[in-house]
Amino acid sequence: MHISKLTLVNYRNFANATLRFKQGVNTIIGENGAGKSNVLRAIRLMLDDSMVRASYRLDESDFYRGLGSWRGHWIIISVEFDEVSADEAMQALFVHGTGVGQAGGVVACATYNLIFRPNKQIRMNLAALQNGDMAGMNAILDRITIDDYETLFTGKSTADFSDQAVYQRIVGDFDNALFSSEVEFLELGARIPGTLSVAKEVSFTFIQALRDVVSEFHSNRTNPLLTLLKSKSGQIDPLQFQPIVERARQLNTEIERLQDVQTVRSDIVQTIHGAAGQTYSPALLSIKSDLPDEADLLFQSLKLFVGEFDTEYEGSIHELSLGGANLIFLTLKLLEFKYQHERQPLANFLLIEEPEAHLHTHVQKTLFDRIGYAQAQIIYSTHSSHISEVCNIKSVNILGRTGNKCEAFQPSASLEPEQIGNVQRYLDAVRSNLLFAKSVLLVEGDAEEILIPLMVKQVLGVSLDELGISLINIGSTGFSNVSVLFHDERIRRRCSIITDLDAAFMDPNPLPEDDAETVAFKGKLLRAQVSGAARRVTLDAEAAVNAWVRPFFAAHTFEVDFVAAGNVEKVVSSVNAVYSQAATQALSTAQLRSGDPAQYGRRVLTMANHEGKGWFAIRLGKLVDHRTVIPSYIRQAIVFAHGSFSTQLIFNILKHRVAVNNPAGSVVPPALQTFWERLMQYHAGAIDFHTIRAEAAIGLPNDQILPFLSDLP
Amino acid sequence: MTFVWTEKELSAEQSDAVREERSIFLVACPGSGKTRTLTYKIAYELSRLDSNRKFVVALTYTHRAADEIHERIEGLGVDTSQLWIGTIHSFCLEWILKPYAIYEPAIAHGFRIIDSHEQEKLLEELCRTQRGITYWDCDYYFTDQGYVLGCRDQSKHARLQAIFALYFQQLADNRQIDFELILYYASRLIRSQPQIAKVLANIFQWVLIDEYQDTKRIQYEIVAAIVRAGAERTQLFVVGDPNQAIFGSLGGFAMSVTELQRLCGVPIKDRALTENYRSTDRLIRYFSNFTVQATVIHGAGPDRAFSSTISYNTVVGRDEVEAELVRIIRLSAAQGVRPEQICVLAPWWILLAGVTRRLAGALPEFHFDGPGMVPFSRDQENFWYRLSRIALTQASPDQHVRRMRWANEVIRDLGNEGLNARGMTAKQLLRESNSVLLAETDGLQYLRLYFDALMVRLGIDWQSHRLLNEHHRAFFDSSAAKVERLRREGSSYIGEIDFFRKVFQHRSGITVNTIHGVKGAEFDVVIAFGLLQGMVPHFSEEDEADGGVTSAKKLLYVVGSRARKHLYLISEQQRRRGGGRGAYPSTEILAEYVFDYDAV
Repeated sequence: MHISKLTLVNYRNFANATLRFKQGVNTIIGENGAGKSNVLRAIRLMLDDSMVRASYRLDESDFYRGLGSWRGHWIIISVEFDEVSADEAMQALFVHGTGVGQAGGVVACATYNLIFRPNKQIRMNLAALQNGDMAGMNAILDRITIDDYETLFTGKSTADFSDQAVYQRIVGDFDNALFSSEVEFLELGARIPGTLSVAKEVSFTFIQALRDVVSEFHSNRTNPLLTLLKSKSGQIDPLQFQPIVERARQLNTEIERLQDVQTVRSDIVQTIHGAAGQTYSPALLSIKSDLPDEADLLFQSLKLFVGEFDTEYEGSIHELSLGGANLIFLTLKLLEFKYQHERQPLANFLLIEEPEAHLHTHVQKTLFDRIGYAQAQIIYSTHSSHISEVCNIKSVNILGRTGNKCEAFQPSASLEPEQIGNVQRYLDAVRSNLLFAKSVLLVEGDAEEILIPLMVKQVLGVSLDELGISLINIGSTGFSNVSVLFHDERIRRRCSIITDLDAAFMDPNPLPEDDAETVAFKGKLLRAQVSGAARRVTLDAEAAVNAWVRPFFAAHTFEVDFVAAGNVEKVVSSVNAVYSQAATQALSTAQLRSGDPAQYGRRVLTMANHEGKGWFAIRLGKLVDHRTVIPSYIRQAIVFAHGSFSTQLIFNILKHRVAVNNPAGSVVPPALQTFWERLMQYHAGAIDFHTIRAEAAIGLPNDQILPFLSDLP
Repeated sequence: MTFVWTEKELSAEQSDAVREERSIFLVACPGSGKTRTLTYKIAYELSRLDSNRKFVVALTYTHRAADEIHERIEGLGVDTSQLWIGTIHSFCLEWILKPYAIYEPAIAHGFRIIDSHEQEKLLEELCRTQRGITYWDCDYYFTDQGYVLGCRDQSKHARLQAIFALYFQQLADNRQIDFELILYYASRLIRSQPQIAKVLANIFQWVLIDEYQDTKRIQYEIVAAIVRAGAERTQLFVVGDPNQAIFGSLGGFAMSVTELQRLCGVPIKDRALTENYRSTDRLIRYFSNFTVQATVIHGAGPDRAFSSTISYNTVVGRDEVEAELVRIIRLSAAQGVRPEQICVLAPWWILLAGVTRRLAGALPEFHFDGPGMVPFSRDQENFWYRLSRIALTQASPDQHVRRMRWANEVIRDLGNEGLNARGMTAKQLLRESNSVLLAETDGLQYLRLYFDALMVRLGIDWQSHRLLNEHHRAFFDSSAAKVERLRREGSSYIGEIDFFRKVFQHRSGITVNTIHGVKGAEFDVVIAFGLLQGMVPHFSEEDEADGGVTSAKKLLYVVGSRARKHLYLISEQQRRRGGGRGAYPSTEILAEYVFDYDAV
């Protein structure tokens, strides 16, 4: 039995999210604040015996904040289990409470829901409202306090709570004051019978983010060593232990008999008598040695000493390096899990929160390659891209945040095994933060990878990181293998594909006068042109049915389009560094400045190939400044990937353009000055985007930001 | 640790039955320690459960029996957390309807159980739509084929069917179900959702049925479906006495072991408890005459040789019956019999109405526990009835365990209603209850005020809850009707709170009850009157092939086997039949029975 699905509705930072899990090891990855801890907390509320009480104490702060007013809304946390069966005696009680019956009397899955909802009174009041009675609804809602809420556990439910229509039918439509006249819904399932405590049926171990391990070791409650020893001390053979107990008692007596101890005791007695007088002094006073003589207590006095790495010295926990202490802590917790696991509960769950904190990358990788117990489901959350590479894309849930709202994605949902294999191989091979990205630019080579971030930073004044765009170099034109991840069913993030159409910039047909080198060059151009056109057809077709992905094409090739966009002089500036011979330098400069694609195109490619495309890009990169023109297809790709631009972001970009257009040391041109003032008003919200866009044409005449602005929706 | 017992606690045949590892069908003669055997069997199997996910389930005929057995097992020091004990109706409700109702469209959206008073009111109202039909014709029960009318007058069936069509419709419209429908829907669910039986079989290690002879076919079928699904892993323990099957008109019958085996699909061992520890040899010899199924009965009690008085009075007139009862009671008291060991029986309630009151008048030195002695509605599923048990008992050490259990039931009921029972414990509930102090002397008014006060203390706004409201109305309506009827019959003291409180006290007076009502009980002295043809057997049973002989025998068997020492039988004269058909004659088989009766 394992958890196959977790649905969160209105819980903490999730309006509505569905996570899916597989047997074995599962990963929840996401940036900080994406809700990883809340997902784990939700699972614990339902399955961790030590947390079940907390589920009866949910409050206002547990509601999704984006709801506005929580009053009247429900929190629903729903877990679905797979591979349950009515035939197994061990699972019977569990199936009795949660098993979902199907035609023919088969039970294959079970559901378990925590519902936090207004009590029946409130629900009946809402149900009695006329449709559309907003005033009546508000009168009821305004009076609701958190004490009017109840916690309910149900099983056997068949409702898909993540479906907005289902939610509105059961809970109500608060925007239009529409409520069902029913207050009981069979889809909610049946209340879990008192005979069943799901949390007690399963073994559940939670390993918290390793933030302060040393103090955990020091607390009796949290010290994992004590837990392990306690679970063993019940099984100690009393015969074997008896001599130890005897010795402990004997030691106590001997210590008490020590001359020094006796002297101190009688000194204390005398001093008290002297100070307080006989009447007010305690009648009896002795010093006792308190070495425990019970198995449990003696065991608790055991401490773990560890010699780190190859040192000779064995120290106690607080002397270890933080990483070492973490490793020990994690190990002990895993052992605790193993002990529990051996007790044969219905199912075993191990939740590990951010194992990467303070653990060395290599240790992490090794650890998670090796964790894995048969019949146990392991779910860990991480923001480490290192661990995310180890895991299987099929058992990954991605949490992403947009504003206050967190969403969950399954990157492999509805993909063919072959497609999954491609993505998996890609992720394995390239350490990428692809899965964490807020939006993505896919590029085909090193030149784009090097130059695009530089151009964006210089021209827009904000970095790709600030824009929340990850630039991924695919190293080929096999975009579809990766872009397939971005889809309504999978990662709902925008993905721009930047690629070359490779249309020939000169007549690719060989002419009689062409030399051998030109003929070869033209042949290459022709082949590239054919495959570029074919690629366009494929990518366009894919984009037509997928709103999250869009391709953007360089008419020819990145370098050629870079020159064509208006960056001739940048390339010219690098000519002398590329070629040492004066004649070649002069020829190259002339060709680059020719304005003829056939000439500058061939030259810039020759230079790039001469240097190596990556090295050439690095050379050009040093020359990139705010006057460098971003080719239009790249500009559009960035606009698409980023999606909607906030006022603040547009302000920052325009402010940067004003700054770079302001001639240093001389008087600010009046038009620029006026524009700057208008920009401040725009920032304050006094004028809208359309106005500031129109005025930019006057304030920043001929600036390359103008086409950028016109690209914005 | 496995539960053990000494030879003094159980006899050899009882021990054998308890130790039997597999399914067993136990025919227990009267006084054979049936309940004791059942109790020890449950305790034994509870102690042998090897998983905390397994349960022992015991089905009793009444809630009272369930409570009693539960308390006895706790008294034996066995953990009862994995015991479920109750009536078949409660069983179906808890284990089948509540968890699986969502698969039965008619009750999927919630349902409420109507109590007998509401059912009576509804049927009375519907009876007015048909001429010549009264509520008394409206007995019915379900089989898997549909409902069966209890009324033996075929000519009324067409009209009754019209009434029942309306009845079921009205219940469905209000999402209500009555006690018979609980069984009906449970049986439907068991058949339509095969996984239910399978799952329950996996949970239940043992299913025990007490008083099997009064079990209906539909009940046998529900239990058998579970045992069958268990494929010999769920064991069945069936105990009862076919000679005491007196609930035939309600569909109850003693299934044979062969048929039960066939139904359950598992082998079931046929055993018997043959030693009677209750009655004297003379009594055993007397009532053995009335067996309908040959049973071996050995006297085994320490006082078996005691010379019992068995008398049969056919000369006393109807109007002298009470004087005769008074005489025998006085006589018994003079012989040193304690009042709670005396029982007065009659076949019908109507014969007993007023008897208790008049006896109480004639014998002021005795307490009586009889009809009309419970002045309020005793519907076990009614929330307010359940709460009244706490209201009407005092906090005292010997009541503590029961009160805690009742309090837990109340808390569970509140929780099921979605009422905010956050963190409330049984202890807190009892503490709040104990601090409700009222000076009210009228019983019903007292309960009304008590309920209000307690609900305020608990912060529960019960009035806005439909179910609690309906239960409240049902409880007070039917209680008021009951008090009113008893008052009309002259028991003015009946409405007093002191009287109410007696209901939950341990029995202390002379029992006055019907033959059906003393099932399982035993008394030193049993006095039975109204042993008249037309009552014993019931006139409707006289139409049966054997002229009602079997029915009459079973009733007489039950009467005779209740007594430990003395048995006084009366077939009074001049009790008039309706419709000018003269007086009832004595019960034929009794009159024909030749026995060396004693004269008293």
